[in-house]
Amino acid sequence: MSRTMRILASLVVIAIVAVALGVFIIRGPAPLDFAGGTKVALADYRAGKPTGVPAKLEKAGMVERGEYLAKAADCMVCHTSPGGKEYSGGLGFKLPFGTLYSTNITPDKDTGIGNYSDQDFLNAVQRGKRHDGARLYPAMPYTSYTYMSDEDVLAVKAYLFSLPAVRAKPPENTLSFPFNQRWAMIFWSAVFNPDTRFAPDTSKSPEWNRGAYLAEALAHCGECHTPRNLGFALDNRKKFAGAITAGWHAFNISSDKATGLGNWSDADLIAYLSLGHAPGHGSASGPMGEAVDHSFSQFAPEDISSIVAYLRSVPPVPSPDLPATTAPVAPASHKDGITADARGKNVFASACASCHGWSGESPVSPMATLTGTWAVNDPAATNVAQIVLSGTKRHTPDGALSMPAFGNAYSDDEIAAVANYVTARFGTKRSKLTAKDVAELREQTAE
Amino acid sequence: MATTLTINGETKSFDAPPEMPLLWVLRDILGMTGTKFGCGIAQCGACTVHVDGKAVRSCVLPISAVANRAITTIEHVGSTPSGAKVQKAWLDAEVIQCGYCQSGQIMSAAALLAATPSPDDADIDAAMAGNICRCGTYVRIREAIKLAASGRQS
Repeated sequence: MSRTMRILASLVVIAIVAVALGVFIIRGPAPLDFAGGTKVALADYRAGKPTGVPAKLEKAGMVERGEYLAKAADCMVCHTSPGGKEYSGGLGFKLPFGTLYSTNITPDKDTGIGNYSDQDFLNAVQRGKRHDGARLYPAMPYTSYTYMSDEDVLAVKAYLFSLPAVRAKPPENTLSFPFNQRWAMIFWSAVFNPDTRFAPDTSKSPEWNRGAYLAEALAHCGECHTPRNLGFALDNRKKFAGAITAGWHAFNISSDKATGLGNWSDADLIAYLSLGHAPGHGSASGPMGEAVDHSFSQFAPEDISSIVAYLRSVPPVPSPDLPATTAPVAPASHKDGITADARGKNVFASACASCHGWSGESPVSPMATLTGTWAVNDPAATNVAQIVLSGTKRHTPDGALSMPAFGNAYSDDEIAAVANYVTARFGTKRSKLTAKDVAELREQTAE
Repeated sequence: MATTLTINGETKSFDAPPEMPLLWVLRDILGMTGTKFGCGIAQCGACTVHVDGKAVRSCVLPISAVANRAITTIEHVGSTPSGAKVQKAWLDAEVIQCGYCQSGQIMSAAALLAATPSPDDADIDAAMAGNICRCGTYVRIREAIKLAASGRQS
């Protein structure tokens, strides 16, 4: 070998090692690596049954089991457009580089998945590979669903195929180059999709394993609550540490005491997941509100408890952008406490005070209490602005309580002012939203 | 669903779904039409009633949220000390023009005086900003609240 060839060969080797190292560093740990125990194949696990449906449905038919699992995986919310038929797709995902539309997953042969074989469906859900061989974008959380057992994925298919076929073609994606190159997702998938099924951890309880399966494979909590890495995949070094997703702040759900769930009681967590509200912790709104309405509220109580047991075990990761403690109740009189920002106060007096009160403790319902919520204690005020823009509605067994959307009633400037007033009065630190920030939030959620 | 509420000191039972707003129960089921429907989204104040003495908008308030709480409407507010003072002042100052928003204005003013017997302009702004009047009677509303608070009424 000549000297030049040797140098070239060395450079190639160095480049390969550098790329491999880079990929290894960017990819980071898998979602369940933190647990550290011995993992066994699902078939070899005897202590319990982490996959499948809860006991009450054990004897149910495949369609009924699939319905429970489809709800647990929350398929419907993303695969239904506003005003569209359920599961017929067309919901737009606004990304910085264009809009991506969800697909029709009803059994229509032309526009849906009516021609999918079992293997096609497994390929799509677990590997992000379409019937025609094209790659799915990871807006479809197949890197989470890949942990589902084949049996559960096929039960979901049976359920979807039991639904009426809807003829509906979603709009074409409007992604810009290079993001419109679907084939390139082969490489993304090779690096970031583990393409492996859930493996129970024998050092943990059966309840933990069930919770891990539900949270990771089905509910895909991390897709919103875990920050993303350079490759737009989940960065599990900061597992559940909170992130901005679809224009909303998905708060820290690690076990960190100050900024995560470490100080929530079991009862609080159970109430929040199953009803969308826990006293002093606010009400689920935006994407989490949808997750509660269509998914968590349908979970069997023992499945909710399993998720809680699992969440407790996720290592604490603090959120440096949040205060260590939330602010106490504000003074009862509008004159005491924060008085700056006359415009924000004016909007608050006209539009907000009659339900939320000047103290932040609602005279109407604990569900409308602002005190103690992360939304008002987040100095970025992202969710305050979002809820003001689009309103919120909580369904409970005793009926629904809702806040109207103020997006059309107030200007960007007024919404920024009231968000800044609200964070100053009821939170720990006044936010500094501008009209431009509010305009951007409108843009991200417009649909 | 059978529901029981305490309205103006009386127990009222009726059939209504738990998410029905209180305003619908008052007007359509109980026939108490003094409380007005304005915007239906808590933006105009015409539907204001008192729940445990505080002014709230009944158009967005589901009845499931007010079980076991004391509800007072415009029909009964005159029997509270601050409500009586406000109604008297409203007549003395001839506040009302078309009148549609006025039961809400009176309810908000009565709740204000009950909590803050001598309100200044800032207090009036904070309490009354959510009550809109298309006739523009705001100047007389402010005047009447001050009159009611002054104790100078005949």
